Amino acid sequence: MAGILVWAETSNGELRKAAREAAGAGAKLAEKLNSPLAAALCGANGDLAAKLGRFGFSKVYASTGPSYERYSSEAYCAAVAEAGARMKADVYLLGATALGRDLAARLAARLDAALATDVTEIKWDSSPLSVVRPVYSGKLLALTELTGEPKVISIRPNVFAPALEREQAAQVEALTPEDVRIRALVQKAIAAAQGAMDVTEADIIVSGGRGVKGPDGFKLIEDLAHALRGAVGASRAAVDSGWIPYKHQVGQTGKVVSPVLYIACGISGAIQHFAGMGSSKFIIAINTDKEAPIMEKADFSIVGDLFQVVPILKEELAKALKR
Amino acid sequence: MNIAVLFRQVPDTEAVLKPDPAKPDAILEAEVKFILNPYDEYAVEEALRITEKSGGEAVGFCIGPERSEAAIRTALAMGLSRAVWVSEPAAVQADVITQSRILAAAVKGFSPSLILCGRELIDTAEDALAAAVAHFLDIPHVLNAAKITLTDGKATVLREVEGASLEIETQLPAAISTSKGINEPRYPTLIAIKRARAKEIKKVTLAELGLQVGQAKTRVASLLPPPPRAKGVRVEGEPAVVAGKGMEWLAGTAKVI
Repeated sequence: MAGILVWAETSNGELRKAAREAAGAGAKLAEKLNSPLAAALCGANGDLAAKLGRFGFSKVYASTGPSYERYSSEAYCAAVAEAGARMKADVYLLGATALGRDLAARLAARLDAALATDVTEIKWDSSPLSVVRPVYSGKLLALTELTGEPKVISIRPNVFAPALEREQAAQVEALTPEDVRIRALVQKAIAAAQGAMDVTEADIIVSGGRGVKGPDGFKLIEDLAHALRGAVGASRAAVDSGWIPYKHQVGQTGKVVSPVLYIACGISGAIQHFAGMGSSKFIIAINTDKEAPIMEKADFSIVGDLFQVVPILKEELAKALKR
Repeated sequence: MNIAVLFRQVPDTEAVLKPDPAKPDAILEAEVKFILNPYDEYAVEEALRITEKSGGEAVGFCIGPERSEAAIRTALAMGLSRAVWVSEPAAVQADVITQSRILAAAVKGFSPSLILCGRELIDTAEDALAAAVAHFLDIPHVLNAAKITLTDGKATVLREVEGASLEIETQLPAAISTSKGINEPRYPTLIAIKRARAKEIKKVTLAELGLQVGQAKTRVASLLPPPPRAKGVRVEGEPAVVAGKGMEWLAGTAKVI
């Protein structure tokens, strides 16, 4: 009987949203394959280990101690691999967050595994297990068979349904991997401004391009994003002009995102940009140029000046959301 | 300090890509322009800046089919001293973990203090290379570097994660992947392009590396275009009117308010 192991990535002592989604995917796979579902948790995290049962895990492998106080690829990889060895895991699931991707890569090499990263669909009934992952930055989708064993899969945040919470207790097993050598370690974490959400995790993204005309214009974009409790995105043109930092860039040489709603303001929608946001559930485009490619692809396109339309939208949204 | 730069050739970011009807796991290459992977340009540039400042050799390592020579020449024209190239189909078609094993073997004899590559290959969307190569060489790795500072056998790397910037200290040798923003890659001059033609590109075989590539662990069964988007609604007119219609759509169709 195979086993499915999920990396329980945490954020401020809670199971991270991407990890809840990995748990959701894991539970579905566990049901299909009739396999046990376990979590690998690193770091103290208060009494989180005992509480993880409610996300569907029957067992939690908890690694604590000085090696796990801060993230390191080497120690975390050792812990997850050890947990996997104990439960004889043949599928490892992680959220494709920054650290999830980091861990998945080292883990797959260590286990000589079949690796599929940033997966957007799992073919639940397939054999060998098949997944869909965007390639060429989303210009195409690759139906990929994982023929090797074990399998390491990272799933794109915001795509899979998170685990349904239930009343269930998990058995907690403490684990101390032996061969831990930490040669690269996080020394310092500098938190982004409060309330600033990363584009890869946001349900709503308000994004600005060349039409925003400068850093001042991005204040409008930020205001609208704030009103919608969303994140601020940007096109390559805006980033390369120095109007906003690179971490906001969406597109082929930036981040690939799948929000519920993407509002493109003053963005022409070049193929490289569309590659990064074309899988958004809903797209609104605001542009003075009705011939801009984004206007053809948007679900709702507003021909107009963003400097006039965006402030009105922001006011109306603030009113609507207050109600 | 000797630096190995791992790089690859990929389709141009502007290219419109279509699956090849004859080979379901490949794209139609006929009308596609190929370039040096954009993130790998940052790795090449970073290697050159370090070796120009403090000495050592920056050597390129590439897995890719015959057409890859153009990208190798670009990297050499930027300033790498020479390149090592694995072009056997078994290597070119291998999964990312196997390719990492091959690159680790190719790099080993050079014993670099630093291995650099781009944070992601923009064609296969793989970002595991640096970490996997590091594992096979039993050295640490850091992904997605926005800044690298070298001091006394250590590197301090700044990287972005969701909601924070991390400062990571790693011992050397290490494998580090580079993000956009770490530097501004140079454009090769005409003289540099000319000189690059004389630089050494050494082809190595898997047999020479002492490797056998077994069954692939992953296989692309088919490439598909993303599902087409339904035709949208368009509004134009007075700002207050179109904003009002936008609000209705947000509430009625998108249901976000």
